[in-house]
Amino acid sequence: MTVLTDIFKSTLPPPTRKSERWKYSPIAKLLNSTLSTDSSEIDSGFSNEIAPNPVEGLEAYRLVFRNGRFDPSLSDLPIAKGVICMPLSEVSAEDAPEFKNTYSKTEWVGELNESYHQDGMLLKIARNIKLDRPVLIHHLTDGKDVASFPRHFVRVEEGGEVDVVVWSSATTNSSGMYNGILEASIAPNASLMLEKVCNEDGEIYHFSHENIIQERDSKFKMHTFTVKGHWVRNELEIISRGKGTDSIFNGAFLPTGNEHVDNHTTMDHTSTDGTSSELYRGIMYGTSTGVFNGKVFVRPDAQRTNAFQQNTNIVADRGASINAKPELEIYADDVKCSHGCTVGQFDLDALFYLKSRGIDEKAAKALLVKAFLADVISNVPCTELREEIMKIYKERHGW
Amino acid sequence: MLKIKNLHAKVGDNEILNGLNLEVKPGELHAIMGPNGSGKSTLAAVLAGREAYEVTDGMVEFEGTDLLDLEASDRAREGVFLAFQYPIEIPGVSNLNFMKAAVNAKRAHHGQPPIKAKDFLAKVKECSSLVELDGRLRDRSVNEGFSGGEKKRNEIFQMAILEPKLCILDETDSGLDIDALRVVSKGVNAMRSPDRAFIVITHYQRLLDHIIPDFVHVLSNGIIVKSGGKELALELEAKGYDWIKEEQNA
Repeated sequence: MTVLTDIFKSTLPPPTRKSERWKYSPIAKLLNSTLSTDSSEIDSGFSNEIAPNPVEGLEAYRLVFRNGRFDPSLSDLPIAKGVICMPLSEVSAEDAPEFKNTYSKTEWVGELNESYHQDGMLLKIARNIKLDRPVLIHHLTDGKDVASFPRHFVRVEEGGEVDVVVWSSATTNSSGMYNGILEASIAPNASLMLEKVCNEDGEIYHFSHENIIQERDSKFKMHTFTVKGHWVRNELEIISRGKGTDSIFNGAFLPTGNEHVDNHTTMDHTSTDGTSSELYRGIMYGTSTGVFNGKVFVRPDAQRTNAFQQNTNIVADRGASINAKPELEIYADDVKCSHGCTVGQFDLDALFYLKSRGIDEKAAKALLVKAFLADVISNVPCTELREEIMKIYKERHGW
Repeated sequence: MLKIKNLHAKVGDNEILNGLNLEVKPGELHAIMGPNGSGKSTLAAVLAGREAYEVTDGMVEFEGTDLLDLEASDRAREGVFLAFQYPIEIPGVSNLNFMKAAVNAKRAHHGQPPIKAKDFLAKVKECSSLVELDGRLRDRSVNEGFSGGEKKRNEIFQMAILEPKLCILDETDSGLDIDALRVVSKGVNAMRSPDRAFIVITHYQRLLDHIIPDFVHVLSNGIIVKSGGKELALELEAKGYDWIKEEQNA
């Protein structure tokens, strides 16, 4: 019988539950499937189930990748001074970016991406250039047993600013694997905002890995929303390489049914005077399973680091579960690090208080959930995106 | 308006109410006093529909319907209001959105359209000035960071917004300084009307100097052991509760 490792060869073995990093996110079922990167087998024409622009009213430059391949007819690239934004497949050999993250050397998922990537985006923002609109990368999966391996490269030069939205969607009958990597480096005093939204129907194993390098006094702000997804693993790694960096990364996940959502984050402070703030909130419904693992490293040279991490989870239904683990490793002595991690249920006192004013249980829970998510959602700078995410959550959860 | 007959209730294995009887008519204000642990707050919680309290016997009729058969939210929509002894803080839910949701839930229940924004704001202005709740507190998250007095004023503010038929005040005077007590009492007195009834639970006579009751009941071991007029409160203040217990035992 053919299995996934026969089709996609690698030197690294696939992870098993014996590995701590994958203990709560087994992929045995995926490994038994047979997937293909050959999109010629997939029906032609863009699925009308999903619009090329998934965020109503959002004015953004757009790159659409369908089953891993760039679709120019659905895309709208920026033409602006100091901005290079194009599919990697169109970049000449001498201009090709050099991916530096070690993920492809240490993890099976990363190695597959390196070996089998089809396309991706190259985005370069020149010195002091501020792009007027966000860049939206829309990944769409609309076939059965599809494997897509996008990889994106972002460089923001000194003083530059850009906002990137990575949105993935999949049609109801789709299945397969999404294995995407985004590598970004942010030069001194530059700023990158990244919003990642997974809103996939169908049965997709979704692996995404973001690798962010921050130089002196740069700013990085990210939001990760798992709005919908059969099996989702979000990995984020931020390395602060210069003095005075600022990193803010928040996330929300509300899986239902038997969905699985895993958030693995790493914040690595290697230099002085950095600040980082992390807030992840999850509500587990139905028989869903969740994982949160948040690592914070403060290296010996990273004096005066100020790092904050909070992960709050509500297990809403009896069959649901989450495994949450904060991991802080602090090797410098003049630092301020705080963290909190909780797993609980709806606050019965608060529920009763709301009900005692005439608000029924369902509406009361919706109010509490919206309040719970507000700290994450209200920080999303783009109004249209914020509204679209709330709209989907509302439809999904019947608020 | 409210008829309580032979009410028995327990929390876990603790029997707290042991056959309580009480009738409240429109326009009346009943004060319920009694020592710690006598069941005063349990009575309030049972009437409001708190799930942890199990009614094991007896009945409660509110305007002809079986109150115990209704969900907490339906009781509120029918006009029962509980001012909490310890109001709950709900971070992230604004006080005004909360009240708007509550008003509209009640309106929908009675087949009315949602309140117009203009009318709601006018109502908010009127009710917040009644309890001297400034705009800053109105617009914040429900009770978050409020002082003890502000929380209690917020309870009365909510009561004024929702215009209930039966108001149950559970130790609204606890934790109040003299000025806040005066403000809260003023709010309650302004809401007294011929078709609205009050049950005021308190430890101290002090509150009843400001809110004059029509009846005073003494609760002990889960039943009302003595009832009287407002002078009973003064007698309790002077003599404590022991004489009633002795009277019972005699």
